[in-house]
Amino acid sequence: MPDDREGRGDGAGTPEGADCRRWKFSELLAEPAVKARWEKVRRYFFLRESTYDICNRCNLHCDGCYYYKGEKQLARENGDAGAWRTLMRAEKERGITYVVLAGAEPSLVPVLLEVCFVEMPLGCIATNGVRRIDPAVGYKIHISVWGNDVTSLRVRKAGDLLRRQIENYRDDPRAVFVYTFTRENIDEAAGVVEVLTAADCRVTFNMFSSPVGYTGPLRHDGASLIHTREMMGEMMARNPGRVIFSPYNAVAHTHAKGLHDLYRCPYPRMNPSTDIGLGRSFRQFRTDLTWDRDAACCVPDTDCGDCRHYAAGSAVVTARLYRHVTDPWTFRSWLDYVDTYLAVWVMGYEKGENLCAELVSPPGCEEIRTI
Amino acid sequence: MPESKETRERILRIAEIIIEELKLEEITPESFDPDMDLVNELGVDSMDLATVALVLQDEHGVFIDEDDYPKLKTVRLIAEYLQSRLQGRKGKDA
Repeated sequence: MPDDREGRGDGAGTPEGADCRRWKFSELLAEPAVKARWEKVRRYFFLRESTYDICNRCNLHCDGCYYYKGEKQLARENGDAGAWRTLMRAEKERGITYVVLAGAEPSLVPVLLEVCFVEMPLGCIATNGVRRIDPAVGYKIHISVWGNDVTSLRVRKAGDLLRRQIENYRDDPRAVFVYTFTRENIDEAAGVVEVLTAADCRVTFNMFSSPVGYTGPLRHDGASLIHTREMMGEMMARNPGRVIFSPYNAVAHTHAKGLHDLYRCPYPRMNPSTDIGLGRSFRQFRTDLTWDRDAACCVPDTDCGDCRHYAAGSAVVTARLYRHVTDPWTFRSWLDYVDTYLAVWVMGYEKGENLCAELVSPPGCEEIRTI
Repeated sequence: MPESKETRERILRIAEIIIEELKLEEITPESFDPDMDLVNELGVDSMDLATVALVLQDEHGVFIDEDDYPKLKTVRLIAEYLQSRLQGRKGKDA
């Protein structure tokens, strides 16, 4: 049958020998390993997320913290368990199946965490890891790591932080340590990841994404993006199984363009459409249980042009299935990305081996520099 | 205007694909209401719709732009969309 679909044409970023043919979706699924991975990840297409600032206090005060930017920090904290229970039930009612509990520091409100978990069993908590969250709360727990202890003391004003985080979450199946690369801590990652993996902790990577107006030393530049990508590759090679990441994650999050420019962000703040997808369902609740569509995204008050945040990518890249069905390498890369996202965010989901070891460029982009 | 046999068959096939891809139970292509709102009534989301669109692209050899997904609210609207794309292609070929 003749086909009017556009071929990619330029062959950019595909491995050597790749042709420019127009691939059918069924052809991309013909490889059994690819088909199996597709079937594995698509079972989770039912996830519909929203995020909730559950506490406006924190026991750390980190440079560049997105929470203490903009208006959301001024919202009154609603600590009433009944109000949160009612909210969770209402969220379930409107189709939300996954909650992200965040900012400022959720571990300071343990009762609310329990209430949310009882009502909405799938979710994640973003914490600094200083206080252990009750194991009865069966959400994924993302522990933020910003460098070694010297750096943590300087940037987060917290001494001995990594040791405390590991003590709290060693051998905890909920825990994923999220190492945030800033412009200043790239080389430290090797030592920190070594300590974490030696303690059998699982690690994934985030990119510092500047809050609106931030021009400080943590903000990435072209050189730091390339250097970070190289370091990510090295960490994946050195620590298979403990580092939850893929080559395409590295590409997508260290590209000179931010996530919005690469993939067009579907979160309400950047997406006026309320027809379908995140533009329709996503809400970002403040601590007073209000939300504002114009400000709603997974990391509010981030400079959208600089956004390479791991949480953003989990939705932004994943939602663009359509753009990644151009050729086998791009599709495999997308599957690796989704597999990574699910392993990081969903309890019980285990990441498979990456299907594409190549650095494949995002659809429509120039060829990337291969490490 | 009564729908043509071709339209009816296309509607049934689209319903069949949706049932298969979304693993819907207790519904058949024949019992699938072609005017049911897929988003509001069936709970279809963007990933589901993308999957269905990719299968339809394969079958019909037409391009379905992701910006057009919001237009594809019902099985009947999908059928009409496909029809217009196929006619457009014939026009180009002529």
